[in-house]
Amino acid sequence: MSLTTPARRRALGATLLALVLTAGTACAGDGPDTTAGGPIKIGLLASLSGTYQSVGKDIRDGFELYLATHDGKLGGRQVDLVVADEGNGAATAVPAATKLLKQDRVAALTGIVGGGSVAGVYPLLQETKVPLVGSNGRPELKDVSRVWHTSYLSDEPGAAIAQHVRDNVNGSVYAIGPDYQGGWDELRGFTDAYAKAGGKLANPDGKTTFTPFPATTNFTPYFARIKASGAQAVYTFYAGSAAVDFVKQYAQSEIKDIPLYAAGFLTEGGVLNAQGEAARDIYSVLNYSPDLDNAENRAFVAAWKAKHDGSPTTYALASYDAAAVLDRAIGAAGNDPTPEAINEQIGKLGQIASPRGAWQFSTVTHSPVQKWYLRQVRQDGRALSNTVVGDLATIGQ
Amino acid sequence: MREAVIRWVRGAVAAVVLAGLAVAPWMVDDYTTAILARTLALGLVGVSVALLTGVAGLPTLGQTAPYAAGAYACAVLGSQVSDVGVVQLAVAATAGATLAALTVPLVAPARGVIVLMITLAIGELVVTVLGRWRSVTGGTDGLAGIAPVRPFWGLPVLATDQARYLYTLVVVATLVGAVLLLLRTRAGLVLRAGRDDEMRLRASGHRMPLYVSGAHIAAGAIAGAAGSLLVVAQQYISPADFGFDTSALLLLGVVIGGTASVGGALVGAALVIAVRDWLFGVLPGHAPLVLGALFVATVYLLPTGVGRARRPRRGSPPPTAAPDVAPTPDHAAVAGSRR
Amino acid sequence: MNRIDPYVIPALDGVAYGLLVFVAAAGLVFCFGVANILNLAHGTLYAIGAYTAAAVLDGGWASLALALAIGVLAAAAAGALLAGLLTPVATGNHLTQALLTFGVALAGGSLLVAGFGPDDPQVRVPAALDGSVVVAGHRYAAYRLVFIAVAAALAAGIYLIVRRTRAGMLVRAAVDDPEMVACLGVSPARIRAGVLAAGGALAGAAGVLGAPIIGPGTDTADTVLLLSLVVVVLGGLGSMMGTLLAALAIGEIQTLGVALLPSAAPFLLFAAMAAVLAVRARGLAPRWRAT
Repeated sequence: MSLTTPARRRALGATLLALVLTAGTACAGDGPDTTAGGPIKIGLLASLSGTYQSVGKDIRDGFELYLATHDGKLGGRQVDLVVADEGNGAATAVPAATKLLKQDRVAALTGIVGGGSVAGVYPLLQETKVPLVGSNGRPELKDVSRVWHTSYLSDEPGAAIAQHVRDNVNGSVYAIGPDYQGGWDELRGFTDAYAKAGGKLANPDGKTTFTPFPATTNFTPYFARIKASGAQAVYTFYAGSAAVDFVKQYAQSEIKDIPLYAAGFLTEGGVLNAQGEAARDIYSVLNYSPDLDNAENRAFVAAWKAKHDGSPTTYALASYDAAAVLDRAIGAAGNDPTPEAINEQIGKLGQIASPRGAWQFSTVTHSPVQKWYLRQVRQDGRALSNTVVGDLATIGQ
Repeated sequence: MREAVIRWVRGAVAAVVLAGLAVAPWMVDDYTTAILARTLALGLVGVSVALLTGVAGLPTLGQTAPYAAGAYACAVLGSQVSDVGVVQLAVAATAGATLAALTVPLVAPARGVIVLMITLAIGELVVTVLGRWRSVTGGTDGLAGIAPVRPFWGLPVLATDQARYLYTLVVVATLVGAVLLLLRTRAGLVLRAGRDDEMRLRASGHRMPLYVSGAHIAAGAIAGAAGSLLVVAQQYISPADFGFDTSALLLLGVVIGGTASVGGALVGAALVIAVRDWLFGVLPGHAPLVLGALFVATVYLLPTGVGRARRPRRGSPPPTAAPDVAPTPDHAAVAGSRR
Repeated sequence: MNRIDPYVIPALDGVAYGLLVFVAAAGLVFCFGVANILNLAHGTLYAIGAYTAAAVLDGGWASLALALAIGVLAAAAAGALLAGLLTPVATGNHLTQALLTFGVALAGGSLLVAGFGPDDPQVRVPAALDGSVVVAGHRYAAYRLVFIAVAAALAAGIYLIVRRTRAGMLVRAAVDDPEMVACLGVSPARIRAGVLAAGGALAGAAGVLGAPIIGPGTDTADTVLLLSLVVVVLGGLGSMMGTLLAALAIGEIQTLGVALLPSAAPFLLFAAMAAVLAVRARGLAPRWRAT
């Protein structure tokens, strides 16, 4: 027995290693694939497993919806969409992006849920000179010449709603959010603009309260502090499971009668279902709502509802718009849509018609200059939904 | 006779694998080369896990802590000091060893599952600090734009996937060779003997805590060096690289490869990481399901028991250990995956 | 306003949270203490209960009873299935068991999410409990208040069953002297299957009752497994009373501790655990031989 065990294990190990190596070579691409009029390869990276998979699936579905409603073509070329799984963050996103960029050799990359994942993929973009048309998270980057986002910058929702909160809340506001980059940016956007508008935070030290993320599932101790602070309103940003926990516990806490304002992700998409009645009346700010009244949006919502349950989310919309951006840029790049040519054309697009209303890329940040809407969770037929109750600022530079 | 055959088979397999790895960059595409470089760095952390788990008898879930310390020291300090790879390696290894030395009082006196939970806590605390210390670490979004290194004074900077991979391979091969040599010395023998029967070794006058502490610091230095290799291979680091997922997969990889065998641990850890990364690329959305099924299948494919170090570890079995399991009370465990 | 007042609700909530962690972890104590099996799929058994609650509960009391029955049975069946899977490695070392059960947890978690969808489902508690009540001048969720009573009763029940019934005697005997139990004609495989099924039933019950507090979602299994492992190890690996004390301590650290020291919140759980383990490798309570 002692003879077979280690030898067998080693043989097994070597065989597995050989398998991995051959599998790697077997599906190796043959180089750039942008011949005239031929198909074009686009890489989509999104969280299809793990914590953020509901956002990731919306991003995939939004892009696929655009393809399905446009004969599977972008810029007149048949699209070969290569999907890879971002997982929970940079640790899994980087190898998956490496595959898309160095093995599949896609002409452009889209998707990516996490800001940290974008930061991790960024060196690869610089190296392979492929543009990213991201549809969600956006970290701080030194050079955005190849990075475009159809979503928003994390500090914009808070900046857009601050004046409204200042005008409508008679007293101080308590700011609370999750303790990671996204939370810091979202809350900073609000607190900076709110301070500029002359508002004062109710937080005891005048600084935002940050809760450990993702470890916090119980917000009761924080609600006790909010109660003690005498705040007249609360501003927050949470997404995913934390948003469900926060809203459900808020509605049963001793501060349930204090108005709650939030970045729209608090009540966006699937989380609103899980929150149920607890979410009623929450005010939120977002760049999109499925009840916006314009022709693009009616077509988008109808096409979405034909394929999926429920209404489209801002995540799906951003990915749909990313496809629209690539559609026009590839079309404009002519006979040889190389990654460089596509990137150059994205910079020349100008106004982009969209279900959220027309928007355009900022020349400085490469993210949208767009209008933000005030929404409230209200009864819509049998279900609760985010209903637009007013326009807020147009933001972007 | 048997011993000779085993040694021969081992040597042959090792030589074939090494030769395969050396020519790999000319046989496979850039993607595979880049993934291999990253995987080798993680395999080296696996070696440090095996050094603690299999050799010193301290099953660990916390080697991501010195790994992270090495990576951040290399990216933040090392790149300021010099762009020479070996200098950065030294900085990273020192940082890893320092962190390991600081945690010796917490880890070294404990045994079994207790070690696992203490090291888990250390790993989580380090990741929390990295995520919050924004001015230095760049916070949860990580550090991008780290300058490329040159392996040695006078050599060109590593600009291609092939170059980065070969540099990683040379460093890993050298360090693994050094570990293998170290284990043949008296200190290595005392450590293994102490793992199997601590009381006897203490009785014969060996200062076991000293040896165990030394092994902990050495493992920290190796993990720190691996951190520097990750920076080279990936040119980006974030707390996500050092999270609980990584430490759990590394420990499981080491278990598959054989906790007491350095080469086996390297291959096991590298395989687990490589298969995970590969699955996320080719089976979007189904990677965890397939990976889980593979773990279960591995247990059945290796029916004689995966761990090679099956004799009792240091310390006595707990009173609750049933006699039918008493011959193998490896007090080792891993906790579930957290993001 | 006096200085204790803001901390009344967090302290009360710490009890609710601690008891939930205890009920969730109790099954793991059995697995570890009796069958000597390290079960990393334990959190998945809780998730089965929590998803069952989300699927079955409709706001009425009957649905709660039905969810409890289905959740307990399903999780117990999953536990027994796990015991079958573990047969070849039951006498192996913990690391091998960890490999197998971690694989089951990964695959099982994916299957649960595939079956129930990636979004967190809504959990509808009975309408009578879906509100808040006033406790010492503060509002507090009615469900959590009732949960404290139910979980305390459950904890007392576990204690009585282990102390007073024949099955409990066998379990205690198996902890003390497995060979003797084997001589009585009870096979270790049967004890293992029984223990894992009982552990699964407890986790399933915790999942159904705890779903409004730690709800079903992609991370539920991991969260519950981690908290359970922490309290089982802190409690002294196999002691029910030690685990209960550890769970209550963790509950208070996660609520009262956060309220008192908000800036230290991210470090509290693991710093406290590392400190306690390093100082007292045997856990919070001395080992209670009879669980």
